[in-house]
Amino acid sequence: MQSDETDDGRGGRLARRVAVLGFDSVPPEILFDKLITKLPNLGRMYREGIHGRLRTCDPPITVPAWMVMMTGRNPGELGIYGFKHRRGFSYNDGYIVTSANVRARTVWDALSDAGRGSVVLGVPPGYPVKRVANAATVSCFLTPSVERPFTNPDGLRDEVIQAAGGNYIFDVTFRTENRAEVKKELFEMTEKRFDVAEHLAKTKRWDFFMMHEIGFDRLHHAFWKFFDPRHPKHVSGNEYEGIDLDYYSMVDGRVGRLLPLLGDDTVTFVLSDHGSKAMQGGFCVNQWLEQEGYLSFVKRPEAPVELDKAEIDWGRTKAWGWGGYYARIFFNVKGREAKGVVEPSELEAEKRKLADRIAEIRDHTGRRMRNSVMEPQKLYGTATGDKPDLMVYFDDLDWRSAGTVGHDSLYLFENDTGPDDSVHSMDGVIMMSVPGRDLGGREVKGARAEQVAPTIASLLGMEPRAAGFAGSTIGEALEAVRG
Amino acid sequence: MTKYTSVSIPLTLHKRLETIISKKTGFKSVSDYVTYVLREVVAMHELKEVPEPFTSTDLEEIKKRLQALGYL
Repeated sequence: MQSDETDDGRGGRLARRVAVLGFDSVPPEILFDKLITKLPNLGRMYREGIHGRLRTCDPPITVPAWMVMMTGRNPGELGIYGFKHRRGFSYNDGYIVTSANVRARTVWDALSDAGRGSVVLGVPPGYPVKRVANAATVSCFLTPSVERPFTNPDGLRDEVIQAAGGNYIFDVTFRTENRAEVKKELFEMTEKRFDVAEHLAKTKRWDFFMMHEIGFDRLHHAFWKFFDPRHPKHVSGNEYEGIDLDYYSMVDGRVGRLLPLLGDDTVTFVLSDHGSKAMQGGFCVNQWLEQEGYLSFVKRPEAPVELDKAEIDWGRTKAWGWGGYYARIFFNVKGREAKGVVEPSELEAEKRKLADRIAEIRDHTGRRMRNSVMEPQKLYGTATGDKPDLMVYFDDLDWRSAGTVGHDSLYLFENDTGPDDSVHSMDGVIMMSVPGRDLGGREVKGARAEQVAPTIASLLGMEPRAAGFAGSTIGEALEAVRG
Repeated sequence: MTKYTSVSIPLTLHKRLETIISKKTGFKSVSDYVTYVLREVVAMHELKEVPEPFTSTDLEEIKKRLQALGYL
């Protein structure tokens, strides 16, 4: 349904309405290079719209990347550096980032202030669900269960459950020992998401519609080695060799059903928050820090264990790290951490020294890794919230950071927290189509995640800065819509 | 339509703000600029009071899920 509101008097509207299909973790190498010719609906968007790579934020992680796109703020401004944060300067206390940690204005917040409607389905972090006027919202895959309030307004809950056939699924259970079950649940979850998306598109008043599908990310993490012949563990002829095409085709069919419901006056985007690629291994960051003299144990663990569970000699520890698709490094600073040892005046020099050593790390074959070390303050300009002292990508993200300790080697070829097939990469995708117009399949170059919100604001007739979005716009997208 | 109300600020401050926004900040009016800055300040204050939305059981479950996916 269409909102009755026009623009807020601050300039012309290029688009009556805007829709975003948010496909988590979809890389250009799979969507554009491998599968696009086999996907009729997404293929038409590719050929008749515009498309390109969308450079994500640092770090290339779902939380914060979708919020970077929807607020136009970088992770430092948002104060969000991943799913989990360290609480203050404690050694062991952490928290999961939720919607409550996002205080910057989103596209739907700005529209809400102007009395204009939005549909927001599953955009992370979306739990707990926020009370935004004029927005029909369903929370994200971080929602503990359907027993908790997960819709705005509350009354939307029953509609969602009903549209999903009685059982809405937020996320799949990741069971490496039973991939057949993961596959079944994955397809079922995504079908239900589209069932709900269709219901919301048809029945709510909106100028902005956004759905997020986490299934792509789960497909990549659970099945990458099965469908990518370049993965080090790929076995030719395995039963899941075509699962990428199967899943993307299923989504393509659902996109074909959804697009007409979005209306012929709607500019539609397909966006992903980062790319994905084959995981080469895990690098044991804390064991390496111990080897280099930065971290000491009271008693070195004899079997793999999380760092939190190990007995660390904090009085002799200068730095430690966190695992994940990138490493977060924290220094143990006097007067900041409870048992700090690094003099505050030496912190900057210590960071530089450690960064130099990280640059020298070699992989299991002796080849020097292509490591990047970033300092939040320098990277973002402003770094708020519970930031790490350093952020590290091992070998251009081909290796994940393993935070556990007690391994025989610095190099793991299984994820230390369970087998895993893919890691994240910096380029996601952007496609945009305008109904009834052939934009010729032009390639957009240089689009960045933080340009998405200002671009959508401009399309919907809001002056980006006045609406709260400070970044630049994706000029080629606006020009294409202007014609 | 967005609804607006007026807030009084000293004229001298208004003039200084005009000078700031004329220097390629991208803001079209002092009102837009003041609204933008105030939103930042309000957000900063609100962020100081974030309640924990998960129960301890939820937290363990979510951590396990994220860990199994390689995020932690």
